[in-house]
Amino acid sequence: MDKASVDVLRVERISKTFPGTRALDNVSMGFARGEIHALLGNNGSGKSTLIKVLAGVYSADADKGGSLFIRDKRFDAASFTPELARSQGLHFVHQNPALFPMLTVAENLALGRGFELTNKGGWASRIDWRKQRARAEQLIARYHIRATPDLPAYLLDPPERTLVAIARALQDQEDAAEGVLILDEPTASLAGPEVERLMASLRRYAQAGQTIILVTHRLDEVLAHTDRVSALRDGKHVGTSPTREMNEQKLVALMLGHAQPEPAALSGAPAAAGSARPMLKVSGLSGGPVQGLNLELRAGEVLGLAGLLGSGASHVLRLLFGAAARSGGSIELDGKAYAPRSPAEAIASRVAYVPPDRATESSFAALPVRQNLSSVNVGRYFQGLRLRHDREAEDAQASIGRFMIRTASDQQPLSTLSGGNQQKVIVARWLRDEPRLLLLDEPTQGVAAHARDEIHGFLRRAAQSGMALIVVSTDFAELCQVCDRVLVIANGRSVAERSGSALDTHQLTELAHFAPEVVAP
Amino acid sequence: MTESIAAETQNESVAAPQAARQRLSTLIILQRYGLLVLFAVVVLGFSWLLPDSFATLLNFRNIAGNQSVLAIVTLAAIIPLICGHFDLSVGANLGVASIGTASLLSAYSLPLPLAALGGIALGALIGLVNGVLIAKLGVNALITTLGVATALTGLTTLYTGGLSIITGIPELLTDFGTGAWLGLPCTLYVLGLVAVFVWYLLEHTPWGRELHAVGANPLAARLVGIDVERTVLLSFVVSGALVGLAGVLQVARQGGGNPQVGLSFMMPALSAAFLGATSIHPGRFNVPGTVVAVFFLATSVSGLALAGVDNWVESLFNGCALVFAVGLSTVLGRRLSGG
Repeated sequence: MDKASVDVLRVERISKTFPGTRALDNVSMGFARGEIHALLGNNGSGKSTLIKVLAGVYSADADKGGSLFIRDKRFDAASFTPELARSQGLHFVHQNPALFPMLTVAENLALGRGFELTNKGGWASRIDWRKQRARAEQLIARYHIRATPDLPAYLLDPPERTLVAIARALQDQEDAAEGVLILDEPTASLAGPEVERLMASLRRYAQAGQTIILVTHRLDEVLAHTDRVSALRDGKHVGTSPTREMNEQKLVALMLGHAQPEPAALSGAPAAAGSARPMLKVSGLSGGPVQGLNLELRAGEVLGLAGLLGSGASHVLRLLFGAAARSGGSIELDGKAYAPRSPAEAIASRVAYVPPDRATESSFAALPVRQNLSSVNVGRYFQGLRLRHDREAEDAQASIGRFMIRTASDQQPLSTLSGGNQQKVIVARWLRDEPRLLLLDEPTQGVAAHARDEIHGFLRRAAQSGMALIVVSTDFAELCQVCDRVLVIANGRSVAERSGSALDTHQLTELAHFAPEVVAP
Repeated sequence: MTESIAAETQNESVAAPQAARQRLSTLIILQRYGLLVLFAVVVLGFSWLLPDSFATLLNFRNIAGNQSVLAIVTLAAIIPLICGHFDLSVGANLGVASIGTASLLSAYSLPLPLAALGGIALGALIGLVNGVLIAKLGVNALITTLGVATALTGLTTLYTGGLSIITGIPELLTDFGTGAWLGLPCTLYVLGLVAVFVWYLLEHTPWGRELHAVGANPLAARLVGIDVERTVLLSFVVSGALVGLAGVLQVARQGGGNPQVGLSFMMPALSAAFLGATSIHPGRFNVPGTVVAVFFLATSVSGLALAGVDNWVESLFNGCALVFAVGLSTVLGRRLSGG
């Protein structure tokens, strides 16, 4: 138990079970004073669950008797609360820190803690702006933030924004040496030099004694800027080692495990047998984070785009669907120039798009299933100057049967269906019109395993009937399962291509995390 | 030792949606016909209490004739509401349209059909201004229509000097406004036609569906190819034209253009629109529900007035109905969208 005493924070035998899944399985690990400790793991590895247990947001399974040790003081992990976390010096800063853009830095800092008041908050007390500014100036100096107290937050550079959020989280900590700062993907929306700037600041805090736990997907940052690295896989702690003993391959192996059998690809014969001419030809496509992307796609082919958050993979689909503005490049669809300026134009060219976020971008939650299905082109039922509700209902029934949608009737509001069935409605909305090109972003996010397999089946069948599909997913195992060919996207460009037997989750993960420097074509 | 409370609550939360759904469907049936039942209770109650004043053919004919104009304004108001935008200018718009029609008839001596068309066009034009500001520029609808309403009130006063226009209104029009056909007020037939027209637009044209889709989720509507801007803009234009028609009817009913009349329409129209969305097709603005709501409110107010209550009761009643209806449809809407 000698080792435990140098750890500022230790978790022991923590499990967390949700109905149907064990998110954390007997996890024990420690975090030492003054280190930057990377926490790695794929989607669903249990990373976020662990963070939420530490924050007191989730309580760990009580019957497993897990505990937290903070500076050798023991806490029951089943009854840990946000108040305890805060009082024991655990501080959290989430991805895209919530600053109020129209408020000044001083005001943003005060909102985490309370304003300095005149007259000790007694009768006729008001905000003491002089003291408030002085406090803000102290914090700005202590955390080396490039800002002034009166600067509105929206004028800050992205890394400074994160630093202000960190300062806000840490300001109560009198002694910088005693706390633990947990950062969830702080660099996901930062560019290269900005990452360097943030990491340099974090290093300075760590040298002062601050313990920093860094949750990140960017393995190059882990190698460059951390002291130790731990990984979770399927809810289990699979290893911790000093970063200097690691390299790219070892990190990926740690995250994914060694002998992971690849799921048998669903794809049948390679689509190369089809027509020689590509159905879709994209050259130099630019716009937003996408910079000069090239790709070709044949009819009957399923192409995957593998990229991390912020890689631009999602944006490629929005550009192809006319939902985002293109700044350059050309697209050919079936040999003809294709330049959609709106989703309506893309749909007219028989291109379809399933967006990543069902709740905000694709579902009409309060409307019945029938109207959700017919929403793309309800005009077809307008015959003889009236809407043919009977034909619409017939088609809805047919789609419900064909896509195995479980609903009491086609007049149920969409929101009453399970997540998987809602997603099937969204996919069916497009598939029933048999588009030429179907674009899907995270087609099975928040969908249970069974429905997921069914959706994958629909996609394969669509490809066999001659449709071309592009699938974006951060779940690379899914891409290996449904795609014939996968392009790895990083920094808005395609950096590698894998297909057939060379297509595996390991390789894709490695390629996406270590985007090689792009050589200009 | 310690029972897993967390696991238990999770089981509950799995079982909960089914029970909630059952409660929801009972609630929906109750709601669907609740307002109709309440309407019947109010009519029977006042008829029993006031057999000589309330339960007379004259009173019913009066209510039907007067409220037809309001009902058309309310039907106009639900069109932008369906795609998610308030229109607080319906009252002021009605004022402008009726003054405009009266003025075209009296000051410019235009033939009746042209003057009526002029009134409708004036209403549509105001709708177009609202629509451009809201759909194209993205200004908040509540603020835009409040501002437009206030400006229109000012313009109306400037043009009329605050005086009604009562000369030169053709008898044909006033006879129509006060007359009856087959025992029912003529204006009620116009309401019938407008109701069928709006019902047709909303439920039997693709455009009606697009309105509902934009109201349910504008972002998703754009991503299924709906031109959201055009849909919203058109909703204000159609709504404005219908208010213009109501303005013409108001001239027929009153025998002239009254610059003060517009504002008294806004609150009752909004109350009825939201109350209407809680019945017949709960959670959704719908034509039959709206018509029932207008007449429910009017009958209640008329009954109370005839029972000797002062006219403050109208404001109190309409205000409470609005808050109650908005509250109810918010709760219901939240359940429908699963939040």
